[in-house]
Parts: sequence; structure tokens; C-alpha cells
Amino acid sequence: MIEIKQLAKKFAVENPKKLSEQEKKDPRLKGRFFHSVQDVSFTCQKGEVLGLLGPNGAGKTTTLRMLSTALKPDSGSVEISGDNVLTNPVIARKKIGFLSGSTGLYGRLTGRENIHYFGQLHGMSDASIALRIKELADLLDMHNFLDRRSENFSTGMKQKTAIARAVVHSPKLVILDEPTTGLDIMATQTVLEFIRGLKEQGTPVIFSTHHLDEVEELCDKVTVIDQGRTMFDGHIASFKALADGSLHQSFMAAIQSTTSE
Amino acid sequence: MWLVFKKEIKELLRDRKTLFFMIALPLLIFPLIIGIVGFVSKQAIDKAETQVLNYALIGGQYAPDIVKELQQPEKFSLVEIEGNADYTSIIRNETVDFVLEIPENYSNDVLKNGQANVKLYFNDAGLNLVYRRVNEIVKSQSELFQQSAFTSLGLDAAEQSALIEPLVLEKVNTADDRENWGEKIGGMLPYLLFLICLSGAMAPATDIGAGEKERGTLETLLISPIDRNKIVMGKFLTIAFAGTMTALITVLSMVIWGLVLSQGMAIKFVADFMAQIAILDFLLIFLMLVPVVAIFSAVLLSISIYAKSFKEAQSYMGPMTILVVVPIMLALLPGVELKGGWAWVPVTNVSLAMKELVKGTMDYYQLFAIFGSTVIIAGALFAFCVYWFNQEKVLFR
Repeated sequence: MIEIKQLAKKFAVENPKKLSEQEKKDPRLKGRFFHSVQDVSFTCQKGEVLGLLGPNGAGKTTTLRMLSTALKPDSGSVEISGDNVLTNPVIARKKIGFLSGSTGLYGRLTGRENIHYFGQLHGMSDASIALRIKELADLLDMHNFLDRRSENFSTGMKQKTAIARAVVHSPKLVILDEPTTGLDIMATQTVLEFIRGLKEQGTPVIFSTHHLDEVEELCDKVTVIDQGRTMFDGHIASFKALADGSLHQSFMAAIQSTTSE
Repeated sequence: MWLVFKKEIKELLRDRKTLFFMIALPLLIFPLIIGIVGFVSKQAIDKAETQVLNYALIGGQYAPDIVKELQQPEKFSLVEIEGNADYTSIIRNETVDFVLEIPENYSNDVLKNGQANVKLYFNDAGLNLVYRRVNEIVKSQSELFQQSAFTSLGLDAAEQSALIEPLVLEKVNTADDRENWGEKIGGMLPYLLFLICLSGAMAPATDIGAGEKERGTLETLLISPIDRNKIVMGKFLTIAFAGTMTALITVLSMVIWGLVLSQGMAIKFVADFMAQIAILDFLLIFLMLVPVVAIFSAVLLSISIYAKSFKEAQSYMGPMTILVVVPIMLALLPGVELKGGWAWVPVTNVSLAMKELVKGTMDYYQLFAIFGSTVIIAGALFAFCVYWFNQEKVLFR
């Protein structure tokens, strides 16, 4: 369904003096470039939920941005059901629903208008957008705030609207960057329910998170990234098998293997 | 493209703050400020005219006529001062408003006594009408003396005026009223229009680029299946539209308020002046604004998308106002005319053309140069905008 091979991305460092001590020590800094992502590969099949794990600054967001075509990788390939994302970004964008970690809404538009606008950008007709919004509003329980200006929304309302916006065009693949960060328990639950719903429909979901309990609850596959490299890519069962006890220990074990190498 | 444009406009119209700057400010605030300034200064002048002036008179015995003229209690009031008083200090401590010193040779027989030098001591800094009010009295006396001298010499009217001014240099202006006033008004017009355009375009420009980045909506917009250049075009049009509308509203408000406020003579002058400018020229003035607005919009959009936040964008845009003034000022310099090379200098050429259009001395062939150069520059800047929008280091700074 989606296949990512040896993705790599480097950023030019404009002013090396401005980097923090920690950044200077990072082995990914080579001369004038910071090799944020060096070698990331994983696959996700129809109906699978993939959890992307890794410490802060590991390259999760950069990887997901490359998947969503916001960034162009320097090397490697991304294929979504046979279409090469890199050579055909506009076609790929229609198949992907992406929710970034730092996303926002147009504050002066209502929730409905926000979703509607992106539906239009995806080339949907007004009637089909209206239908889809109703469907999503039922699913995410957003009828009571849909027609208010989104600048006054709570974090949970915003996140629901952002999710609805990301999937308004019924994408073939949904990518979520830390979708539950900063949400209260209720809103988190809605998001998790939504991912489960997608899974039931057979839509693959890739999401990054720091919450291992979410991974345990939802994921079929786990990919661990550290310092821009895939450290682990496999089914949840084999991830659990990395260490006795909790998933936290499995995660640590996956990361450890880097340092020992 | 129109989708983006429509949405941006919708958002713009819901933003009260931006709308305030775009519409309310030119429509209400400017006339209000001008009105207040006018009212206050009129009050001040009225006060200066009607105020009772305290004065001291030295040598009053030589000029009984002037003493008599000054005896108007509703206008002047005499203050006795000591003979050796320092005029400067008594004027400073407001004992008197002026001191009038009449010389000994003051006499109605000017042929015998010669020119008399009457001295008026007063503080001439700041608004006051002391000189004018005293001069009224002195001048009428002076004219009386002149007349009596002429009579005693037995001169007729022609000889009198020839004697007063033997040679006259008469100014015959070949420029008609329109050209004359057009030079003055037409020179100011681009200042006003360009700066208002720029300030009107600035607010939406910040919102559309840096604002979108700050709110985190930019990334989502970029990965929607719409070409980048369409996004740029939509945003560009929004900024240009906002700028033009602000300029249009301002000019309309000025015309309307001008007509409302000015009465009698002034209204006739304004109406006559306007009537001389053909509709075509009016249209051309606005048409001329289009390429300039395009240049502004492209620059503003590039700045805005580069900036990380509202604040950054605003501080980058600040100096633009100053940069815009320079080419307009060039157009006001003597010798800079809408010919040859100057017709190709952007912004300056449009300022010049606006002036020519108002004056009615436009060389319409220069329009090619103007539109040519501005379109090339606006196009290049727009292309840069599109390029800029495809740079990862700009978008994810």
C-alpha cells in the first residue's frame, strides 16, 4: 500500500554558530548540512495502523512531511499504491490526508467553512462536501460548534475540525503527526476512536506519538526512528518481544541497539 | 486560484481590525482630523484678531493721528511704561503686547521731513496678528501723507502711479489653470495614492503569509492538491485588491468630504478643476495604479512568506514605506520629466504620468514605456514569489 525506502533529507545550516551545544554534538551534523533524516524505511499495508516512535528531534516530523509531499527528500522513494509521490506530488496529495502537529485553523472562518475550503481545494463539489461534512460531524461529534468561528474553539474542538479537514476528501492514506499531543482525555479518546474507525474501513494510518499506550491499543506495526535512522520496523508482537516487560523497555531496547552498533 | 482568492477575501472581510484600517480610517478619521485642525486653527486666528492688545507708545506727541486711531478700547489698551524701560523684557513678561516708537521727524509733510521710521517692537514668534493690525493703522496714515504730497506737487493719477512704481514686470502665465494647479496637485497625488495603497495592502499581506505560517495553516495548504503558483496568484490578487480598494475608498472619501466641506468659491474651483480632467485621464490614473500595486503586492507577499511571524513581517515591511517615497520624490525634482530614461524607472514613471494626466499634458505614447517597464518588473517579482513559495528553506524556516 505504502512503501518508503531509504528516505534521506538534509538541511543547510545557515549559521553554524547559532546551534546549541547539543546540536553540535549530534553526529548528523556534517559540515554545512544537518542530515535530519538519513535512512528511514518502512511499509504499511491496507488496514494497518503504523505507530512511528522516536525521541524528540529523531526526524519523525521530517519523515512525515516528506510523506505528505510538503518536503522533497534528497534520496529514497515513497510509493503509495504504485504512484511515486516524488514525481507526482499533486496526484499523491489527493490520496493522502495529513494532519500536522502544529496545524491551525483559519480563525475568522467557521469550522464548516474551514473544512469546506479544503474540500474545494481537493476539487470536490459543494454537494459532496456538505454530505461529507455531515458524515464527519456525526462521527466526531462536532455539530454543536461547527458553525461558530473557529478562533474561539477549545483545543479539542480545533483538533476535531483539523482531523475532519484532513480527511474531507476520503484519502487512501491518513498521516497524523502527534495527533493527541496537548489534548484532554476526552478529545484524545475521540481521536483514537477515529483512527480505529479508519482502520475498520481498511484505510491505513500512520501516526507519530510519544504515548506507548496508544501504540499498544491501536497499532499493528511499529517503526522506531532515532537520529534519522530506522531502528526498528516490524509488527507489534515482535516489538514487544524486544524486551521483557513493558513497551517502554522495548522502546529503550530498540534505541539502545543504535548506540551499541 | 479564485478559490484561494475568494476565501482570503472572505477572511479579510471578517477581520474588523484590518477593515478598520482599510475603510474606516480613510473614510472617517482623516476628514475628522483635518476638520479638528481646521476648527482649532480658525479659533486661534479669531482669537488673535479680536484680542485686546496692550501697548505702550513712545513719541505719541509727534503723531496725534496714530494716537487717535489706537484709541479703540475693544482693540487696543494703552499701558504707561517708564521712559527707560527695556522693551524686550516688558514684552516678555507680557506687560505689553507691543511698543510703538514714533520718531521726531514724523510729519504729514513728507516732502520736507523725509521718510519716517516708525518702530514696532513685539514678539513675532508664534501666531499673532500684531504687525497686521498695527500696519493697518500706519499704512492708512502713510497713504494719506502720500496723497497730500502728490497734491502739493500737483501730479495727476498717471504720474502718481508711475512715480510709485516706475517699472512693472508683468507675469503672463501661458499655463492654463489646469496645468498650473495640476503641477501642484498632481505631484502630491502619487504620494497619497501609493502610500495609502501600500498601507492598505500591508495588513492583509502580513495575514496571508506570515499569519498563515504562525497559525500553522500553511503546511496544510501546501499539501492540498493545488498548484503552488495558483496559491501564490490567489494570495497576490487578494493583496492587490485590498491595496486598490483602500486607495479607491480614500480618494472617494476625499472627493466627497471635499465637496461637503468646501463651500461657495472653493466648491466652484474644485468642480471646475475636476471638469477639465477627462474621464479617460481619470481612468488612466487608476489603470496606472494597477502595475504599481502589482509590484507592491509581489514584494509584500515575498516578505510576508519569508517572515516567521506577524511581528517579523511587520518589521520587514516598515522600511518599505520609506523606500517607496524615494522614487516618488524623484518625480518631483525639477528636470525629471516623463521622457527617455525616466519613463522606464518604475514607480517614478507612474508618479510622473499621474502628474501629467492631471495637468493635461500627457504624452500618451509614454504609456507604452510605463506599462512595459512596470509589467516586466511586476512579472519578475511575481515569478520570484512563485519561486520563493517553492523553497523549503523559506516555508519551513
